Amino acid sequence: MLKINELKASVEEASILKGLNLTINPGEVHAIMGPNGSGKSTLASVLAGREEYEIEGGTVDFDGVDLLDMDATERARAGLFLAFQYPVEIPGVSNINFMRAAVNGKREHEGLEPIKGKAFLDMVKEKAKLVELDGRLRNRSVNEGFSGGEKKRNEIFQMAMLEPKLAILDETDSGLDIDALRIVSEGVNAMRSPERSFLVITHYQRLLDYIVPDVVHVLVDGRIVRSGGKELALELEEKGYDWIKEDIVA
Amino acid sequence: MDSAKPQLMDRPKAEARHAASEASGAALVSALDAILGVQADVALDAVPVPHRRVERWKYTPVASWWKDVLASDVNTVAAAGCEANPVPGLDAYRLVFVNGAFDAVASDLPVHTGVTCMPLSQRGNAKLQDTDSFSPETSDWFAGLNGRYSQEGLYLRVAQGVELDRPILIHHHTSGEGAFNVLRHDIALALNASVKMVQWSTAHAGAEGSVNVLTRADVGEGARLHIDKVQDEEGTVRHIAFEDIRQHRASHAEVHTITVRGAWVRNDLTFRINGEGAHAELNGAFLPGEGEFVDNHTTVDHCVAHCTSSENYKGILYGKSTGVFNGKVFVRPDAQKTNAYQQNANILASKKASINAKPELEIYADDVKCSHGCTVGQFDSDALFYARSRGVGLEAAKAMLVRAFIGDVLKGLAVLEVRLEVEHRLAEKHGWEVWSDHPNDEA
Repeated sequence: MLKINELKASVEEASILKGLNLTINPGEVHAIMGPNGSGKSTLASVLAGREEYEIEGGTVDFDGVDLLDMDATERARAGLFLAFQYPVEIPGVSNINFMRAAVNGKREHEGLEPIKGKAFLDMVKEKAKLVELDGRLRNRSVNEGFSGGEKKRNEIFQMAMLEPKLAILDETDSGLDIDALRIVSEGVNAMRSPERSFLVITHYQRLLDYIVPDVVHVLVDGRIVRSGGKELALELEEKGYDWIKEDIVA
Repeated sequence: MDSAKPQLMDRPKAEARHAASEASGAALVSALDAILGVQADVALDAVPVPHRRVERWKYTPVASWWKDVLASDVNTVAAAGCEANPVPGLDAYRLVFVNGAFDAVASDLPVHTGVTCMPLSQRGNAKLQDTDSFSPETSDWFAGLNGRYSQEGLYLRVAQGVELDRPILIHHHTSGEGAFNVLRHDIALALNASVKMVQWSTAHAGAEGSVNVLTRADVGEGARLHIDKVQDEEGTVRHIAFEDIRQHRASHAEVHTITVRGAWVRNDLTFRINGEGAHAELNGAFLPGEGEFVDNHTTVDHCVAHCTSSENYKGILYGKSTGVFNGKVFVRPDAQKTNAYQQNANILASKKASINAKPELEIYADDVKCSHGCTVGQFDSDALFYARSRGVGLEAAKAMLVRAFIGDVLKGLAVLEVRLEVEHRLAEKHGWEVWSDHPNDEA
């Protein structure tokens, strides 16, 4: 599904990713953990196509195509989804019209006609149920005045609407209380399938109690320095990142 | 181009040159008087021709072409091909003016108790409102031109307590070359009267010349006036419009100005608030494309206490276009407890576009609440990336942000059909796919 080879990236001349390797197979859930400033969110932004980042080397193969050759829109239409750490507010654009434009963009890419009003609204209803998204939020401006939890549920709602091949969750657990964390996680788990992969970026092991990963990676200073099963997350929680850093030095 | 940079010349030379230019203009005025059979009773020469050393015209150069206006062919022939109804589905009374002439066949005047509505030329001995020392005619050359040459327009009187059941649509259409369309709409609403008006201006692709429209409205005590004004002119027509609104006690007046298309447009609005408890509202959206010029000058003059005004202008400038916004608010010494709000926000959608934006507040009363904000920016890159990360194309994402940006202005339009047609025409002009924010979608 995703094969990252020796990826190097920088922003404003500061080198952040320094040769990152990662392979995710269809249906797998991978978690990336790591200390602040290790490059976790940069990886998410680079994969989603944020143009402020400079790619300095390496390749990314996404389901058989060169991901780095596509712009942000094309990547999304090809089936990549990023759940933002800080979802953006867009005053004046209703959530529902925003999603209609997104769904129709994907359909255009697939050679389909724009979705009919009734079918779209049925789809919205069904997917909103998944994350218990209040009906009122659908008609409000995108993320405007949403609480932290509502924003994150809205991200998962959008993911459900777009049915991506690969979803990257960038610190989706930040700012969530226990109830919201459960709802968001259940939404994600309901979407797990043999064809869909997830890359879950988090600081805390807590999220991985709910979304159980197949593989856990530790990112330090722009490289993945250790990979393992879900136990690795527990070990990190117990010993902290310094343990890994010391380990690398040693 | 010879007089494009008068500020670089030494002053006496520039003045002399301008005087010479005005003198040759005066000859053209005399010639025009003869063609149109105008008695020169309006002292046009008392008002100087605009030049860039006058603050009100600093960003709006006319030196290279003002004489062309006077040298027009004075094409007043009613040309065929005027759009039947520029606003589909709008149920309205209609006055159609083609190249400045009233088109009786295409018009549908209200027959309504307490409403006198007719073309200006048919009003007989009925008097127009006086111009006083504050009127634009006494301070602006183009308004003076209107005062001298306007022979047609709308004459509207609405009696006490009468609320007109349908909007009045005034359609100005220009075709052919050498147009010199000078129109004057003279409106007076008596106590508690209420009228909604739509002013819609169109021009053919090959149209060339000038359009000069002055709307004077006296809004009586407790009366309500709504004007939705839309400019969608093809060709190379230069359009200048004045709204001179006088408000009395507890009246309510709104003008919404949407410039969809226009090679050169200047809107000059003046609201004079003379009665307590009155409210003035003026909103606008302008979206000039490649080569277009749009200027919005507004003046809100709070003369008495306990009045409110609200102003919101939004500009999005594409290609090599230029915009001007100048919003003047006077709060006179007696206008205590005034609450005046002004906002002007602009997006430069192109590196070649420019906007000259200037709020001007002159406050002489001490117990007032006046706020204003003025911004110039570009598209929000975070919002664009967010939309693109959901599979929305870059241009579609920009269109989405633009529609959101001007949404509050469009929602202020008094007539729903006008709003829908404006949205449609903007989408057509800018190549937006569909306008998905249909009001029916709003739960």
